[in-house]
Amino acid sequence: MALENNTVGTGRVGRGVVGSVLVGRLGWTLISFLSLLVLWAIVAAVLQSRLFPGPMEVGEKLASEAATGELGYNVGVTLARVAVSFFLAMFIGCAIGIALGCAKGADQFFDTWLIFFLNLPALVTIILCYVWFGLTEVAAILAVAINKIPNVAVTVREGARSLSRDLAEMATIYRFGTWKTLRHVTIPQLAPFFAAAARGGLALVWKIVLVVELLGRSNGVGHQLHIAFQLFDVPMILAYAIAFILVVQIIEIGVLQPLEARVNRWRR
Amino acid sequence: MKRSEPAIQVSIARKVFPAIADRPEHVVLGGVELTVERGSFVVLTGPSGCGKSTLLNIIAGLDDDYQGTVSFGKDTGKLSFMFQTPRLLPWRTVEENVLLILDDDGPDAKARVAAILSRVGLSEAANAYPERLSVGMQRRAALARAFVIEPDVLLMDEPFVSLDDPSADSLRALLIELWNRRPTTVLFVTHDRIEAVMLATRLIRLGGNPASIVQDSGVDLSPDERLDREKVLAWRGRLFENA
Repeated sequence: MALENNTVGTGRVGRGVVGSVLVGRLGWTLISFLSLLVLWAIVAAVLQSRLFPGPMEVGEKLASEAATGELGYNVGVTLARVAVSFFLAMFIGCAIGIALGCAKGADQFFDTWLIFFLNLPALVTIILCYVWFGLTEVAAILAVAINKIPNVAVTVREGARSLSRDLAEMATIYRFGTWKTLRHVTIPQLAPFFAAAARGGLALVWKIVLVVELLGRSNGVGHQLHIAFQLFDVPMILAYAIAFILVVQIIEIGVLQPLEARVNRWRR
Repeated sequence: MKRSEPAIQVSIARKVFPAIADRPEHVVLGGVELTVERGSFVVLTGPSGCGKSTLLNIIAGLDDDYQGTVSFGKDTGKLSFMFQTPRLLPWRTVEENVLLILDDDGPDAKARVAAILSRVGLSEAANAYPERLSVGMQRRAALARAFVIEPDVLLMDEPFVSLDDPSADSLRALLIELWNRRPTTVLFVTHDRIEAVMLATRLIRLGGNPASIVQDSGVDLSPDERLDREKVLAWRGRLFENA
């Protein structure tokens, strides 16, 4: 079993290399992050302006906002809106994408619609949703989802167009049926496209949710930024921005990356 | 046992590939009449591109755009198809790939899968993902998958093509062993004449344009004689003398 020994061997070497690369990358991330902080502190010290606070001041603001519970509450509210509109957009977008990728006639017919919605500015969707449905939670979530659905649909449509005919024939011969085919043949082929749509989607949804909150909600990070803007409270703006970046990174590293690794573990 | 009733009856009047771009319409098959007896190992051979695979796809039900009929006898519902490429699901392990073909995944089914994997020599690779295996091992997995449901009809489309000789030989020996253990109706497409003689109990040659059956002969060799190169070469000479 020369082949097996060989595989085990490369596996061990592979892990070692991955390990040192990881440590190296973490080290570089740390160095790069610290130098950004230092640069920020120096510029703030030179400017000595109320409108350009240093890292210490922002850190204090972050701590005091966290202590009153305001920070946790508002980030939580925003997170909930992101989650609901994200899953809504993913579900509807994937369904549309699969349908268009599999049915050529429908694709030709709806292509123009898709291009229209893709190019509709986010701000227009948000304003129209608020005008038509009032300043409600439903309108807010709907506005975010409508912005995201066309992107998801286009990405997943690409995947559905490239589904393997060979595997589909195999599933027909062995009588997999609809559910088994979907679960074991179709969805695994679309997984990379779902992942791409999810990643791009999350980045977009975060940003649009803030705008939606700024324009028509009375809580959430976007609303807090709105208040801080009116007061010219720059430390508050930066404190919320940093809290927000941290949460996004935690989700990226803690949820998205492990999920992607799991889905891709069969690859050579 | 009603051995007399045929397993498959094929009657194809015409099969046309429609015109694509600048290529004109092409009549592939014309007047193919074929009756396959139960338990026979029928090898379909003929020049490349003559329509062997097309015929097999029609029989498998993968292609229903033809004029004619294909009917299966009683109790010949379970069909397996071994393709030119293994067509395993790369995101499922070898064991999962074979298990998926069965209707349930209980302990009985798992035992059956383990048994067939050990027979094709893949016990140790059961938990490996297909793309990490050699091409020969992937074909063994495809062979295990084709046999695990104990098919009534097994269709094979050049399943050992593009393998090195030792791998192809050992897979052929494995196929003969599995078939002897559980004789089933086989339709096997190949353009390799030695392979054709080694495996066939009946050899059918397609030819002409559009293609139809130009030769239909029995191959009367014992299992041992099939592994004897001299005997196989002698039969090849006799069968293909006017080809």
